[in-house]
Amino acid sequence: MQVESAKAAAPGSRAALEDRLRDIQAIADAALSRLDDQKLLTELLERTRAVLHADTAAVLLLDYTSGHLTAVAAAGLEEEVRQGVRIPVGRGFAGRIAAEHRPVILDRVDHSTVLNPILLTKGIHALMGVPLIARGRVIGVLHVGSLAQRQFTSEDVELLEMAASRAATALASLMAQEDRVAAEALQRSLLPGLLPAAVSADLAVRYVPGAGKVGGDWYDVFGVSSGHMWVVIGDVTGSGLAAAVIMGRMRSALRAYALEHDDPAEVLARLDRKMQHFEPGALATVLCAVFDPGLDRVRMCSAGHLPPIIASPGCAAEVAEIPAGLLIGAARAARRETVTLQITPGSVLCFYTDGLIERRGQLIDDGIARLCRVVRAEPPEAACAAVMAALVGGEPVPDDIALLMLQCHPSALQP
Amino acid sequence: MTAGDDQLRWESGQAVFRMPAEIDVTNANHLRAALRAAVRQATSVLIIDMSATTFCDSAGVQAIVDAYNQVEARNQNAVAPTQLRLVATVVRRIITLVGIDQLIPVYPTLEAALADSG
Repeated sequence: MQVESAKAAAPGSRAALEDRLRDIQAIADAALSRLDDQKLLTELLERTRAVLHADTAAVLLLDYTSGHLTAVAAAGLEEEVRQGVRIPVGRGFAGRIAAEHRPVILDRVDHSTVLNPILLTKGIHALMGVPLIARGRVIGVLHVGSLAQRQFTSEDVELLEMAASRAATALASLMAQEDRVAAEALQRSLLPGLLPAAVSADLAVRYVPGAGKVGGDWYDVFGVSSGHMWVVIGDVTGSGLAAAVIMGRMRSALRAYALEHDDPAEVLARLDRKMQHFEPGALATVLCAVFDPGLDRVRMCSAGHLPPIIASPGCAAEVAEIPAGLLIGAARAARRETVTLQITPGSVLCFYTDGLIERRGQLIDDGIARLCRVVRAEPPEAACAAVMAALVGGEPVPDDIALLMLQCHPSALQP
Repeated sequence: MTAGDDQLRWESGQAVFRMPAEIDVTNANHLRAALRAAVRQATSVLIIDMSATTFCDSAGVQAIVDAYNQVEARNQNAVAPTQLRLVATVVRRIITLVGIDQLIPVYPTLEAALADSG
């Protein structure tokens, strides 16, 4: 049924073409680009509603983790955002668009076609929606609705797709900004730069986000009631908020297990089981070093992490010999082995993540060798500065870097 | 590019999946999907050939671990299990560092991987 819309111009007429051109200009308007992303989305929804003579317009964002769409901006349908409506992908009107990656037009809106109760109670009679696509991936849905009976046309779909492409760009950039801010805040809150009280050692740390983007690198230093000090360094695969969140969970879990068990191999085995159960698919390398109260002995276990560098006073630095255990999250029942090393007073131990030494076109062992040549038994701040200057310099780093330098003092030997 | 085109080939009845020169976050997702397709097609042996790979970061490691888990899952219900093998030269160090050699046997050359009758 073709319902007379507010567009009065006869199809194909000069007036109709001019209308169409004006509609396209409203959506394509370069001035919109000067708005920030949130304002652009709001203005775009208003214009989309106007040019399509629709009563409602809404943008829903797809959360890949939960498989739900959530309304993030709306015009004429503000309650959808305020009530936090969630639509599962594959179900209902918007869910179908996200699942099928194509436009959907409904000229009958009832319980059989629509899941969202707000659309029903609002009295919407016709709906048209298109997927929001950024870098080849569906990131959400844009839809408009009409309170009157009407049949949306293929020309309407084209206009909506134009609006969707602008909305997708704004939404992707908005999400990236929010993720970045959240991930940075999370990283900052989780990286301590302090030693437990009463430990006769000095500590210096560095964290540099890779290519301006934080990742899943972390370090941790804490004491337990037995007097042992734990040093942990790890790297969760991936980057951004997702990796930072997993990193935070691993760090908490590892601390909890360390309160119960003194053996780093046992703690890593438990952490591995926990990760495989609660974060299937996530991978991380982790190294634990447990220092005796006198700092004269350290027990270490590595789950796929790069070995620390140890520089004793007056000696060339060496790579600690630790068996390479399987990284966390890869497979059940990995073999974990703890090794014990003696520490000469005044020694510096250097813990780091792969961002420090991995470069395209270079072998890892060459990177480790370069690091070995720089690390010396000197105060940790100086040692950190020397390492960063030699291995990073003024280059932007592609991957994030965590570096922890610890010097055990001679006085630690005295009871 | 899919596993059916240029990455997966057959040599004396064994499936050989050729990995690209560089593996990082830009191609790892695609590679993971292609490896999964290769696992579905493989019969007795699937060789992941990294002999031409000169750079592999943690995203690449993730794709290999995923293939391992796919094979493990498939073997649980299979009458004839699939053996996964890995060929690595330049990137062998990263493979052993993260312990993947404890999951998948690693060979220095494709010939050695093909010749292993085990």
